[in-house]
Amino acid sequence: MLRISVILTVTLCVCACTTAPVIKEEMRYFDGPLPSDLSGSWERNYARDDDVNAVLREAYYQLSRTSQDQYYNGNSVMVGPSSNDMASVVALARLAELITRPDVLTITQDEHEISIEREDDFAMLCSFYNGATKANQSPYGNEVCGWDGKDLVSNLVLPDGLQVTHRFTKSDDGQQLRVITTVTSKTSRLPFSLRRFYKKFEHLPSSFECIETLSMKRVCSTSEVKP
Amino acid sequence: MRQVRIAAMLLTLVLTGFSPAGADEPATAKSSARVALNVSIAVFDPGVPDDQSQFRDLKIFPRIRQVEARFLPFVLRDTLANSHDWGAVRVVPEPDIAAELLVTGTILRSDGAVLALKIRAVDAGGHVWLDKAFSGPVADTRAVADKSGIQQPVFAQVAVELEAAQRQRDAAELRRISDISLIRYGNRLAPSAFGQYLNEGSDGTFSLKRLPAANDPMLERIQRIRGVEYIFTDAVDTKFRELNSEIASIYALWREHRRKSLEYEKEDARWAATSTDNLERGSYESIQNIYDNYKFHRITQQEQDKLAIAFNNEVGPKVDAMEQRIAELEFWVEQRYIEWHRLLEQLFEAETQIEQ
Repeated sequence: MLRISVILTVTLCVCACTTAPVIKEEMRYFDGPLPSDLSGSWERNYARDDDVNAVLREAYYQLSRTSQDQYYNGNSVMVGPSSNDMASVVALARLAELITRPDVLTITQDEHEISIEREDDFAMLCSFYNGATKANQSPYGNEVCGWDGKDLVSNLVLPDGLQVTHRFTKSDDGQQLRVITTVTSKTSRLPFSLRRFYKKFEHLPSSFECIETLSMKRVCSTSEVKP
Repeated sequence: MRQVRIAAMLLTLVLTGFSPAGADEPATAKSSARVALNVSIAVFDPGVPDDQSQFRDLKIFPRIRQVEARFLPFVLRDTLANSHDWGAVRVVPEPDIAAELLVTGTILRSDGAVLALKIRAVDAGGHVWLDKAFSGPVADTRAVADKSGIQQPVFAQVAVELEAAQRQRDAAELRRISDISLIRYGNRLAPSAFGQYLNEGSDGTFSLKRLPAANDPMLERIQRIRGVEYIFTDAVDTKFRELNSEIASIYALWREHRRKSLEYEKEDARWAATSTDNLERGSYESIQNIYDNYKFHRITQQEQDKLAIAFNNEVGPKVDAMEQRIAELEFWVEQRYIEWHRLLEQLFEAETQIEQ
């Protein structure tokens, strides 16, 4: 039992405490065109999604198994996660849940960029030039992507050790998309991951063609708009 | 079409070898009257780096820079023209090496707050009048009615320095520049006839060995051809001006949006610097705040991207149509150049043989 606890502690420490980059060097380079075409409109398949509470319960058990904290429940001495540990994981879970809330992802892709638009959030951006990924850096965080085989991995490194990672995996038939979102923080012993599943869908053809303009805002026409 | 007819008429006149009466005087009159040089302003270099991966980092929208490269020379043109210190001030699609004074520019920075340009002015003799960077605040573009008022501070600086450079040169020197300009122009079309009048220094400067006689038939032909070219330059200039009047208000809107975006960015930075002060580290509120800071920064960037697309949707087709028309005019002139070059060389050879 003691051996298992030690192994789990080490494993958790490796997961949560190390600073190894999510996007490894080899993931930043690729030959030829982008390894996968993720473009299209994707709608959430709730039936297959992870249940946040179930994942949180699992985190609780993991923390319990590795916790040094003991408490007395009236009958016997119990071992459980500290309130700080649990609060940190719950904070990550809430953020993961917030980030993965959008029902629809709209992904556009060309030879240099993949943009993943989400409702009520910024569009994730992956840039690729000369067979390598390019980080989008700013004082507020750095966004970099990489390819793990055909999986697209986006890693957002934010201040105070907060990281948000998305792994996009397309099914072989190209109709399903799995997105694993992982939030990690220096203040939490455990990362928190949620899986979301999406189905590809086609927008119904609109009878209006619209373009954005500066002076007239959105201009729509019943036929193809010639800007 | 009208320009083509006029040009054809002038070409006929050119080739008739019309020779006015008069003594064999040097081509330039010895007047002490003030000389105002003609200025050609080439369409600016947009200053877009070759490396596309830098566009985002440098906040450059290439298509908009291309539009600015056509638009901004006109603001300079209007500034110079309004000063009444110059002869004809024209915007030309390509640098004209025989221009009396050629002004070229590169856009170094252009956002809602600051405009920075590198301006170079070289006279026909190859002497550099000005070669420096200018930068200044962008005038509040809410006053869009004053189209030429956009970025006026920077162009006013350029105009002042150009005018100062012109005043440093006396009338004789300015006339000489004008003469070199004409001879260089002739040399381009008929080097056999005009090469003998020019000295080219190892430093790229030009001086006159002597001038052809005022009634030199080749010189008169060259003057006529140049007149034809000016008609076309003015046609191109008119096209540019039409475009300018069409896009000036949209461009002003674009600048206004960019200026606001910069304000939002500053606001984001202020918020990010102060918003985490009272939050417990690792708490949901704290990490959400960190995430939101990034989110709002990116949303501000995305809005700029959308505005750039909207600008291009509106202006792009107008620019494309103008570029096509200018390309047609330039093609016509290029074709005539080849023809003029051939005919002038033949005429010179024939006339030289007769004299011999």
